[in-house]
Formats: sequence, structure tokens, C-alpha cells
Amino acid sequence: MKIRNFILCMTAWFCPLAAFAQEPAPLDKSQNVLRIWRDTQGRTITATFRGVEDGNAFLQTKDGYVYRIPLERLLPGDQEIARQLKPEGLGIPADPNVAQAAARIDEIVVYGLKAKGVTPNALASDEQFCRRVYLDLVGRIPTKEETTTFLNDTSSSKRAKVIDKLINSEGFNARMFSYFADMLRMADDAQKAKFFTYEEWFKSQIWQNRPYDKIVFDLMTASGKLINNGASGYLLRDKGMRLDNLSVTLSTFLGANVACAQCHDHPFADWTQKQFFEMAAFFGTTETYDTKSSKKMLAGLKGELTQEELQRVKKLVQINALEVHEMGYNDVKLPDDYKYKDGKPGDSVPLKLIKWEPATDVQKLPMHDPVAMQKLQASRDQLYKTVEASLNKKGGGENPRAVFAKWMTSPSNPRFAMTISNRLWKLVFGIAVKEPVTDLDNAADANNPMLLGHLANEMVRLKFDLRAFMRLLCNTQAYQREAITKQVVAGEPYYFPGPILRRMTAEQAWDSCVTLAIGEKVDNYKLRRAGEYSALMGLKGKITASEIRSKLEGMKGAMAKFGGKNKPGKNANMKKMRDTAGDEVDHTRPDVLQGQVLARASELPQPEKDQHFLRMFGQSDRQISDAGSDEGSIPQVLMLMNGQTQSVLRNPKSLVLATANNQAGAEKQIESLFLSFFSRHPKPEEMKDAKDALASGMTLADLTWVLFNSREFMFVQ
Amino acid sequence: MKSPVLSLNPLSRRSFVEQIAKASLGVTLLPFALKAGETDKLNGDVHKIPGFGKAKNVIWLQMIGGMSHIDTFDPKKGETKGASTAVNSKGGFELSGYLPKLAAQGDKITLIRSMTSKTGVHAAGQYVIRTAYEQRGTISHPVLGAWAQKILGPSHKTLPSSVCINRGPDRGNGFFSAAYSPLPLHDPEAGLQYARGDASSELLQKRLALLNKMDASFRGKFQDMNLKSYTEFYDDTLKLLTSSDLSAFKLDEEPSVQRDKYGQNKFGQGCMLARRLVEHGVRFVEVAYGGWDMHNDIDNAMDDKGSVLDTAVSALIQDLGAKGLLSSTLIVVCSEFGRTPKINGRSGRDHYPKVFSTMLAGGGVKGGYVHGSSDKEGKEVADKQTSIPDFHSTIGHAMGMDVDQVVMSSSGRPFTVGDKGKIVTDVFA
Repeated sequence: MKIRNFILCMTAWFCPLAAFAQEPAPLDKSQNVLRIWRDTQGRTITATFRGVEDGNAFLQTKDGYVYRIPLERLLPGDQEIARQLKPEGLGIPADPNVAQAAARIDEIVVYGLKAKGVTPNALASDEQFCRRVYLDLVGRIPTKEETTTFLNDTSSSKRAKVIDKLINSEGFNARMFSYFADMLRMADDAQKAKFFTYEEWFKSQIWQNRPYDKIVFDLMTASGKLINNGASGYLLRDKGMRLDNLSVTLSTFLGANVACAQCHDHPFADWTQKQFFEMAAFFGTTETYDTKSSKKMLAGLKGELTQEELQRVKKLVQINALEVHEMGYNDVKLPDDYKYKDGKPGDSVPLKLIKWEPATDVQKLPMHDPVAMQKLQASRDQLYKTVEASLNKKGGGENPRAVFAKWMTSPSNPRFAMTISNRLWKLVFGIAVKEPVTDLDNAADANNPMLLGHLANEMVRLKFDLRAFMRLLCNTQAYQREAITKQVVAGEPYYFPGPILRRMTAEQAWDSCVTLAIGEKVDNYKLRRAGEYSALMGLKGKITASEIRSKLEGMKGAMAKFGGKNKPGKNANMKKMRDTAGDEVDHTRPDVLQGQVLARASELPQPEKDQHFLRMFGQSDRQISDAGSDEGSIPQVLMLMNGQTQSVLRNPKSLVLATANNQAGAEKQIESLFLSFFSRHPKPEEMKDAKDALASGMTLADLTWVLFNSREFMFVQ
Repeated sequence: MKSPVLSLNPLSRRSFVEQIAKASLGVTLLPFALKAGETDKLNGDVHKIPGFGKAKNVIWLQMIGGMSHIDTFDPKKGETKGASTAVNSKGGFELSGYLPKLAAQGDKITLIRSMTSKTGVHAAGQYVIRTAYEQRGTISHPVLGAWAQKILGPSHKTLPSSVCINRGPDRGNGFFSAAYSPLPLHDPEAGLQYARGDASSELLQKRLALLNKMDASFRGKFQDMNLKSYTEFYDDTLKLLTSSDLSAFKLDEEPSVQRDKYGQNKFGQGCMLARRLVEHGVRFVEVAYGGWDMHNDIDNAMDDKGSVLDTAVSALIQDLGAKGLLSSTLIVVCSEFGRTPKINGRSGRDHYPKVFSTMLAGGGVKGGYVHGSSDKEGKEVADKQTSIPDFHSTIGHAMGMDVDQVVMSSSGRPFTVGDKGKIVTDVFA
């Protein structure tokens, strides 16, 4: 832990990119009681009390920073108070800088709430917090053991510690992959090939905690074959449809609502079709399909292969033709049905980037700081100048796609950092600062525009480190408050008195079920398919007829293993496999129980087949972005009541039931189930009802069914 | 059955529909480019256009893979003829020799031989023929069953308004909420998936009682709409499971003679199940039938697929007629595209969206009628070109929907039933 010297002057909070006034909004007095603390040398500090640990007192000053002060340096009277006082707020932070940054976010949230006369919710209980933070950071509920470890921990630093533990765990990777797989429409099957390399490339980026701007830059600029370079998967996902790809790119990464402008001027926003094509021109030199090189490789083999073999070779060629490469000329032209006066069908289009009105996102803010705003605007202007310069370089400009990628992912881009920070805020609060996340064109209309701007600044300050950003959000009081109990109406402003009540995503629900079935070890199994697939399908160098024949043999094997489109492969056909749950730990293959493969959603087919729990519970079909659904339906309810998942959980081999069965006496057994499903102890009346039920002939397995089908299980508060 | 929505005067009808829309996920309905005074005129006109609202139900038979037009509804002579020889139908038009039973029902059938589309790829083509819209990465579009549920309201109090058989719903709800998704029945024999659990009804009641008791404080604490609607979905599901309407899903209640008539295969039985569902109050039923991608040996493949199609659809027409449901039930046979007139080197035909055929029967359409035509070889549209949006607009109109009505998605984009296609009024009796 870092220690700052015990100094009495407060350093003014300052963030270099902030376009907001330095006048801090007053801290929320209801939860943070400031008092004056004195040390043995007669110095004083005005601070709230965050707790005592290892002989140190933790005091948070008004600027949000948390000081660690050895108890013996406080006056004896204050030492006594420190030993008896109940800690304020969130307890002892793991990192004073994070605590300070979190306090600044809280200040802005509270400012927004006060302006509308809304009172923030009380802090969530340890039970609520524990379940929520596991679901948000590792994408599954905590096991009974994880819950009790947390609840029984008496230290004031446990919340910050569990956040740090989760942020750095395997589960975090699975959670983030599921989120981005939905955002990016990652599907195993697309363009008559398997996109395994793309999926695994992306997983490795999250695992290494590569900065988000770098990841996206790579997606935009990748070249080469899909089977050799997974990063090319983003462009190849929309092979031959670069306009569609651009629509998705602009709305997903920049919150620019331009989809309409692909075919006509936007009816409600300012985007024109011309502007859309000017942006498309940045991808106009890029080709996403190349059969030439593979065909060349096979030239001369025609006579040596049979008709049937040639047919199959065609498939191989198609897979190898999925390649991003530069053509050396730009073929973006205005479409045949172009109907505006600023161009004719077939005209070539200049490279030009869209702009948002000068700093509209901060202009209208109640507390904007003109100097900081000027600085912000200057950095944006500079960015556009740099683009122009690199396009007009003597002796040929830079590759336009790279120029676009630099512009898009730059910290000075007005929307890039804002879009991802708004998205991640939604991921943990259930609702974004500005909805929908794909449209930030009018950022100043956000419910709390200052918060939106500040989060973007924080994303830049943290250098697009997603782990650090998620850690920051979870360390705020705003996050650790109770969920709102009132109805949140779509389209109506929300000022974040706390997170909203959310139904688990399909992935959270499934991952929670497999956790109930086999416990936290579920985070360890990793699906690996890319290497084998690429080796089987890749064509390299000059190839002979006999080599082709052995390739085709291998391809047969690959089809059997990985499955054709919509045909279940070996992995999907686990019914024949014996139950393995409860066997010795083996992370090279997933556990199986009653024919269900018990692996995290991120380690199953992307997306799952449409009758799987995941899909019935709303997993995206990966045809459109951000398409996961949290809605109910009759088939879904039938599945929850009578499907395989409830049956697996009622199996005595499932961890949840086995653990409960091992307890002595009904009370302990019931308590065990409650801790497993709800991460809390049963209330006395619940205990009574459950005991009565068991006494009247119902079994613990029935009780498992009841808890599984409860709204409390499926919803996150 | 007269829809309560339609019997209201136009203005209150709209506000009623808007209320439904508001209640579900911020989707709004707007009159399309209308000034206030014109509203009455337009709604009046829609009712006067032939065919409006005649098809209370639709059975949508979706051939997956690209059904050859020449080998089904648009037989040719000469080079592109293929292996079968055309037969005369009772409707006065010719059908391919693979469809003798349908030929005997020709007097109840309308063919459209001038369909055209731009999409020659399966998945994208399927998307267009199911939704009338081209597939995009940014939004998904509803199928007609979902549109109808949105605009006309639910078709039954316990049964779903739309069902899809032998396929998944594939986001059939489009940009509407999941409650508008067709209910999937992957196997007609099995009926409603997960309708039966392993608990006795007594035990189930006990479990449910305990569930409601223990979950009460959580449900009471939050006013969240989605939480409430979950509780409603549980109620609806239990209502369905205990209702006599559940028999709509049970094929084994049909006499076996009758079942044989449809053909003992997944498609035939799917068609029969569709009839049962429609009879019980489900408005829109899609039955999928795959295997039409006949790149190789098309004669052999048509013998097989053609006969299954021929048997099932002719039985369906007869059965609906016998039950008095044909005049209010529109049968639609369609596919994502046709197949090349030229027979390829492997005795098959390849993808061909340029011209293809669809079939309609019942639900207010003419019998023994052919709309439009392809040229002599089946290569081009010769007359009365009909796009997929036109096709959808025609069916949507027949179902009683105003195809000019604009519906805004929750992302604020405007859409209409049939993507602004023209209603083909000629097909209506």
C-alpha cells in the first residue's frame, strides 16, 4: 500500500483533461461525517474515518484521498475514538489513489442527484455487495464458500480486497469476453469458415490486459489470413460488406448513430450519406476476400484431382481466401441510387472524417471550465490536423485505414474513450449515463453530462486499462449502494442513486448455474480450437496433389470435431459422454453432467445452439451487435421449470446439492442452499417455510428447484 | 372473430395501438407522413382495398435452401425443362410433374411466378423472405407474425400468437420485445418443449406455493417492469399448462388416418400441427422444411422433397377446407430464391434469385389464378414483377394490417410491414 506523508495542507484535486470546474461539489454528509483528528505534534486533519487495520488508522480527507496514519501518532483521545468509531463509507481502500478517484466520481454523481433533489440510496449490505460484485466482475455468483469467506471477514478492507481479487482472476476474462463477444458479434461460424482464431486472439488480449485502444487499433488495421491472424476477424466478419462493417464500427466504438446514412441522409440526425461514404473511403483500399493466391497455389493440380476432390478443395480455398489485404487503389464510389446534389452515382469519394460540433459534450455543462474546455478542443483540433497531414504526406499519404484507426482510437477523439467508459458503466450499473450506448451524438443531453465527460477523462488517464477502470467503478459508493426499488422507465432520466435491478445476462445466469453445479473450478477450463483448426485448414507455399489429399483427410476430421454450420460437432454431442462432475480436477476438458457440458459460456460454442439454456435465456445469436436479451418468454419459463439445467442442479452429484446434503440437520442444509443461490442467510420466516416444506415431504432437491426458479436468483440487486 | 382494435374508429384505434406500444419497450407507432386531416381518408381506403383482413390466420410454409421454381410452380418446356413433365392442374395452369396432388387442388391456388430478389446467399436470402428487409448488422426485423401481434394484438388469451415449427425463432420478434417472438416447436411429435416435468402435479403445486411464498418479499421490494413481467410469464405458462388449449400442441389427438394423409414425416406432421394450432387460435404458424439446396442430381432430390411437399400441402388445403377454415386461413409456400434454369454439370441447379415462384391458397385469395410470369426459359421476369416487399405487403394487408403504418424501433428508426412494398391486389378474390 502506498503511503502519503502526513501533511496538513490539502492538495487540490486536479485532473489535467477535465473540462470541469475545480469547485468540488460538497460530499454527502449523510454518509461521511468529517471530524478533526489531531496528532502528537499538534497537527490536525479534517477527515472521515474509514477504519483501523494493523495498527493504522485510515482517514479520508475531503479531496477523497485516504491517509494511513500509525495509531500511536494520533493523540490518545483520538486513538480511543479510532478504536471505537464505526468506519464510514466503504471501509479501507486497497489503493488511496483509487479511493480518491472513486470519491471524485461519487462527488459528481451526488452533485447530479442533488440538482434533481434525489437522495442517494443507502450502502448495500455485504450480502448484496458480494453477489453483485461477483456477477459484475467475474460474471457468476460466488460459491457458498466464497460468500461465507467474505461475510465472515471482519476487516474494514474486505470490499476493496475482494474487488482486487476478482479483477485479477480468470473469471474476469470470461466475463469480459462474453460482453465483447456480444458487442462484436463473435460467432464460430461465419463466411463458411470458423472464426476460432478471432475469438482466441480477443481472449488473449483481455487475458494480457492489453489497453482497449490498442486492441481496437489492431482490429481496424489487421491484415493477413483469418487462420493466421485472429485480429483480422473483425473486418472479415463482414467480408465484402464494408459499408455494413463501417456502420457497426461507428456505432459500436464511437457512439455515432450513422446506420441510416448508409442508404440515405439521416432523417433525424445531421449525418448525410455523403459523410458516410467519405468515412467508408478510409476502408476503400482494403479487400476482404482473396481467392487468387490460393487458386495460384492449386494451379496445375486440376488434372490430378477428381471432381469430388476439387469440390472439397473449393471449401479449403474459401477458408484461405478470408484475408485482409491492401489493393493499392480505392474503389469506394457513391452508390447507383445516390440522389443528393453534392455528388453523382459512381463518383469517387474523398477521405474525410466526421466531426462533432465543437465540444458539444461539455459546452452545455453547468460547471464547465472555459480554460480546460479550450484545451480539450485544441487537442481535438490537433487530432484532425494530424490526420490531414498524414493523408497529404509528400510521396503518398499513409495507409488510410491506419489513419482512420489512429484517429478513432486517439485519446483526443471526442467519442472513443467516452463510448467505452459509458458502456462499462452500464455493464456494472445496469444503465448507461447516456442511452443507448450506440448513440452519443448528443452527449450533452446525458442525464449527468459531467459524469459522462469525467468517465471519458478517467478512461484516458488510466490509459484504456479496462481492469483498472472496472476496479475504479466498483470502488465507488455509487456502485456499492442498494439497487433502486422504483421502476426505471426506459427513456426517462436516471441519476444513479444506486445501480438498477437487472436480470442476469444469459451468460451470467448460465455461468452461475455451472458454478452451482461444480463450483469455482469452472473458471479454469479453457476451450482451445484455433491452433488445430488453422493447422488443418491452412494452405502454404507450393502444394502437391498428395499433400492436398492429406489436407482433405484432415478437413474431414475437422468437420467431425468442430461441426459444420448448425450441425452439432463432437463437443455438442456430449450426451454419450459419461458424467465427469466430481472427478479429479482436470482443466483440459470440461465437466459433464446429464449430457450438459459444464463450462463457462465463453468456453462453449459461440453462440450456443438455439435450444441451449444460453440461447433460450437470451444469449445473442451474434448477428447484430449488443443483442443479448434480458426478457422472459413462455418457452424460457418452461425450460426453467422443466429443462435440463434445473435437472442438473437437482442431481445429487451437483455441488450445490451435495454440499447441502452434507450438512447436519435441516437448518444447516437450508442455510447452505440459501448461501449457494442467494449469497445470504435465510430469514427466520424463510427458514420456517423451508423447514415446514421439508417436513411435509419435499426434498432438498425440490428446494433447489424452488430457489432456482425464484426471481431473486435470476435478478441482480 | 372481429378484432376489437379494428372496430374502433381510426383515431382511437391508433391511440389504442400506441398504448400497447408504449407498454412494451418504447416502440412507437406513427401514421406514415400524414397530416392530421388525412388520417380518416387513409384508414378508410385501406379497408376498401380488396383482401383486407380476410386472412385471420396464416400458415407460412418456408422451404429452406432455395426451391427450384421450374421444378415446382413454373414448369418449362425445352432446354431448361428438367426431368419431370408438367401436368395440368384443376386451376387451369400447369404444375411440375412432382406435384400431382396439388394439381388436383389447383382451383384453390394462386401462383406468383414473377417473384424476384437480389439475394442469392442462403442466410441473407432467408432473412429477406422472412422479414421483407435486408439483413443489417445494426437492427433485426420482425416476421409477419410478430408484426401482427404488435399491430392487431394477441390472437388468443393463453396460446401464443405465433409459432414456428421445425426451426428456431431466429429473432423473429425483430426489434420488438421477446414476448413477440414466435414460440418454437422443434419437433411436431413432441409438441410443446418442456411442457412436462418429472414432478407430479401435486408436487409441482407444492413447489410453486413455496416459491411464491419465499420469493414474495423480493418481488414486493422492487417495482421493476421486467421483474413483474417474469412473474406474469410464469403465470401465463402455468395457465397454458393447465388449460385445455394445451391440446392444440398434441398431434396424438388426431386420428391416425388423418395424420397419414399429411405424410408421416416432420414436414407433413408440422403442417398438421399448424392446422391444429390455427384452429385453436394461434394466428401465425411457420413450418420450415429444409433440403432444397439441390446443386446435385435435382431429379432424385425433387422426387423426394417434391412428394413430401405435394402430400402435405394438398392435405392441408383439403383439411382446412373440410373444417371451414380455408377462407380465413392463408397458406403461403415460399423459399429464399429459385434455382438456375440451366442444369449444371452435376445434374443439379444452382442459386437463382432473379426470378422464382411462390404459392398462396385460402385466406381470401383467388383459386386457379397465376399472377405474373417468367420468360420461356424461366430466366427473367416477363410480366408483373413482384418483389419480396410486395409479397409481404400483400400478406400483411390480407392479415388486416395497414402496411403504411410506420412503427418506430426503440432506436428511433422507422419501419413498416413489408418495407413499403406494393399490395398485389390482383391475387384477391
